[in-house]
Amino acid sequence: MRRIRVFWRSVYDVRPGEGVRTLCMALHMTCILFAYYILKPVSRALFLNKFDIDQLPYLYVLIAGVGGVLAYAYTKVAVRSSLAVAVNWATGVSLGCLIAIWWLLRFNLDWMLYVFNIWVSLFSIVMVSQAWLVAANVFNSREAKRLYGLLGLSAVAGAAFGGEFTARLARVMEPHNLLLATAGMVLLADVFLRIVAAQKNVNLKAAKGAGSKDAEFSFADIVQGIRKHRHLQVIIAIITITFVVDVMVEFQFNAMAKAVYSNKKELTAFLGSFYGLYLNLATFVVQFFLTALIVRYTGVGGTLRVLPVAVAIASGITIFIPRLGAAAALRLSEAAARYSLNRTGMELLYLPLPAELKNRTKAFVDIFMDRFGRGVGGMLLVGYIAWFEKDPKHPNLTRVSMLILGIAICWILLTSLVSREYLATIRRRLASRRLDLADARISVTGAETIAMLEKTAAEGTPRQAAYAVGLLAEAAGYHIERQADALGRRDSAECRTMALRVSTAVRYDGLIDVARRALEGEGDSVEQQCAIDYLMAVSPEKPIDAAWIRAAAADAATWRRALAAYACGRHSSGGPVLRELLHDRDASVASAACHSAGHLADRVYFGQLVARLGDRAVRGAAVEALARYGARMCGSLSDVLTDPKAPAAVRRQIPRVLRLLRDPKSVQALAAGLDSADPGVRAAVVKAMNRLRVSAPELEMPAEAIQLRLRYEVAHSFRVHAQLSALRDTARPRSAGALLVRTLEDRFHESLEQVFRLLGLSYPPDEIYNCWLAHCSGVAERVTAAHDYLDSKLSRETKHIVMPLLDTPSRLFSHGRDLFGIDTKTAEAALRELLASGDMWLTTLAIGTAAELKLSSLTADIVKAGEGAGSDVVQVARAAAASLS
Amino acid sequence: MAELNLIDKVIALEGVDLLKGLKPDQLAYVAAIATELRHPAGHVVLDPSSSLDALFVVLDGSVALTRDGVELHTATENDVLGAWALFDPSPMPVTGTTSEPTRLLRIGRDDFYELLSDHVEITTSVFGTLVKRFRKLVEE
Repeated sequence: MRRIRVFWRSVYDVRPGEGVRTLCMALHMTCILFAYYILKPVSRALFLNKFDIDQLPYLYVLIAGVGGVLAYAYTKVAVRSSLAVAVNWATGVSLGCLIAIWWLLRFNLDWMLYVFNIWVSLFSIVMVSQAWLVAANVFNSREAKRLYGLLGLSAVAGAAFGGEFTARLARVMEPHNLLLATAGMVLLADVFLRIVAAQKNVNLKAAKGAGSKDAEFSFADIVQGIRKHRHLQVIIAIITITFVVDVMVEFQFNAMAKAVYSNKKELTAFLGSFYGLYLNLATFVVQFFLTALIVRYTGVGGTLRVLPVAVAIASGITIFIPRLGAAAALRLSEAAARYSLNRTGMELLYLPLPAELKNRTKAFVDIFMDRFGRGVGGMLLVGYIAWFEKDPKHPNLTRVSMLILGIAICWILLTSLVSREYLATIRRRLASRRLDLADARISVTGAETIAMLEKTAAEGTPRQAAYAVGLLAEAAGYHIERQADALGRRDSAECRTMALRVSTAVRYDGLIDVARRALEGEGDSVEQQCAIDYLMAVSPEKPIDAAWIRAAAADAATWRRALAAYACGRHSSGGPVLRELLHDRDASVASAACHSAGHLADRVYFGQLVARLGDRAVRGAAVEALARYGARMCGSLSDVLTDPKAPAAVRRQIPRVLRLLRDPKSVQALAAGLDSADPGVRAAVVKAMNRLRVSAPELEMPAEAIQLRLRYEVAHSFRVHAQLSALRDTARPRSAGALLVRTLEDRFHESLEQVFRLLGLSYPPDEIYNCWLAHCSGVAERVTAAHDYLDSKLSRETKHIVMPLLDTPSRLFSHGRDLFGIDTKTAEAALRELLASGDMWLTTLAIGTAAELKLSSLTADIVKAGEGAGSDVVQVARAAAASLS
Repeated sequence: MAELNLIDKVIALEGVDLLKGLKPDQLAYVAAIATELRHPAGHVVLDPSSSLDALFVVLDGSVALTRDGVELHTATENDVLGAWALFDPSPMPVTGTTSEPTRLLRIGRDDFYELLSDHVEITTSVFGTLVKRFRKLVEE
């Protein structure tokens, strides 16, 4: 019963808020696969019915060549557009093509059947891959782990129903009319997708129309990678041979099906049933019930060997019984094992490659290698028929079976090489600690890998042993206790830490003595924290109790107090002690206390954490801790941000917290800080909003507040420019005046940067950033291109104030006057403004400059500026007043 | 001679190679931690037997730099002594002795580190200057 429950949960674990998204996404998958499994048998049956079997290899070559080029071109185009646009176009074009093909098929044109078959291959690439890409953008990685199984089941159901639908209807109507049903399914799929897209937190506009990784590789890199990595050579070889055999087996199967079913309706019905129902059912059974088992007991090499062995056996049978039943069994075993076992085996085979090389290679393989393999298979068949068959229209299928058997034997030998190369690569990667099982999209590992990790755990260096045990703990179904125990007794903090960590996860209580010893003296802090976690997990009553925490918190040793702070976050009675430790003078203790407060996320610590933002040694931990409270504290954070009485050092850190909370409330809180009188707070707010715009593009930015701030910032830029122009000619080298001019130039640049940052909140941030870089470069061509872009992209209202600011400096005067009434100034007027600016550094420089220029008319302003200012300003003011009097 | 004010210190610091990338208001923060020292002639500023924990800018006067009794150079107004001491505590291989009554501006390493931790933009700029310097050395 428990197993059934666990299995059911692994398939169906839809949580509140995910229902509509999951249901509609599943129905979308069902419809797309339903449509595809109508198209596949219809297109192939029409072709086989119309042409002799010797034409089929040419179709394979054409599909590989033309289909491959079109698929690559589509990926290149789609990656530049948004997913929403790509989906709309793909749906619209598919519907148009379906209607056009349906209409043209009525004229019985030979070439149309080639076009139809190539288009169907493209449909599978574009629509099916796109459906999975949409799913990847609708669900986050955690949701995906739970829900992809359900989506996979929906896809299998769609395929099975589509095939069965075709089988039943093909007998009572012309097969090409089924294309209208396909169009209906595509339309229905689009309806479900629109419902998904309308859901909260789903933004298909922000996603790219194709996986960017699909388009990111260069042939030169791949060739270099293949030359350098033997492992990659083996992968390429095995993929090529897989698809060569696939084509040959399919050819044999189609030839026999054609021989048995001369009527196109019967042939369509047979292929519909075969591909839709039987093949999917077989794949489902193998994937769900056999794959994990085979991988666990036979490893990668064994898993990859199943397919060629199955092909060899089935083709052997076909040699002696050259009937459709045997060919169908061969096709069924080949395709089912390829979709399930072989796919999993290949995922494992990629595992030891460096992540970056793996991604690039996979992209190359996904786009090219299967088509290349099929193309080679098609060419081999063309050559075979031309040279060895006396009657090409009726090839001897026994000989084809023998050919398949021969290739399958070579394939089996190749899998032995694969197995050896896989282990060799894994050994090398293990030695350099660069193997990451968590990166893999599969949760099972092979027997050889397990054995090798066990060996490394026993004989490797402490670092390798800890790493190996960490990996073993991630292997599904593996009992880690024995390894953890041995590792925990090694003389290495790294080993003990890992042992305690994995033992905590499985509640293994054999390391209590090790954990106790770790807490006895000052040692590795991570090991000690793991020891606390471990003891509280396996022995919650002792020794980590309220008394232990109180005693540790009162200890003179900082490491003991830091441990007490850590334990407070994990123990129910730690509250009062934690409040004391948050005030601790030692930064390491206070930081540990912040982490624990963040872990508990209790409002009672909020005020203390906010206060700690002002302490540079602890502020990182405080920011992280406050972010762990989540969006519910945005209101309180906003209150601090906008409170002019709160210390500026604290207020400037609040945006750092808010930018970590990807929630509309954090945007709202940040927007409130846009009006802050403190330029440092304002800059921090805009920076945080920039970061949120990139990390959470679905969040809506407050357009009105941004526009207001933009207007203010542009006016400020013009004002600074007017002051700068008034003072530029008065500055002498190494004088206060020269420093003032440099400072005003910096302020103008900073203000302009703020303008671009604000634009980046309303317009594509990447493009605005590029415009900023181009503007700063000073290179005429780049500057012009950037200005042209802004001119075409910005709204009329924004353009009206921003574009004049980017004009040549000589024209800024007139723009400032026309837009904001800012007149040209004398040096005296500019200095008077700066003396009253409230900016301490500008005030100090203005005082010094006034003294240098002997502007005695400013004496009263200087005295006023010096009142209540800091000692540095007062000192300069006194000296200036003395020189002017 | 009057004590240096903030602006004078900033002007003096503008000549320090390590601080070349800083904006004037950032230099003002550095100036705020700089202290003015007055030494009579014959005072040892740099001692090869002890580690150096500060950078010095000569405001006026002069400092003779010698090795094994041989004078290598005389640092005068606006020259900088121990520019890399802010990052490297190793002793300088020379002795620096004031040749006349001399005024120096001193920036202590600990104060400088505190400043860097408070003002990340200063850290970025100083690292930028260091990287440029290393790149230049490599290219040479």
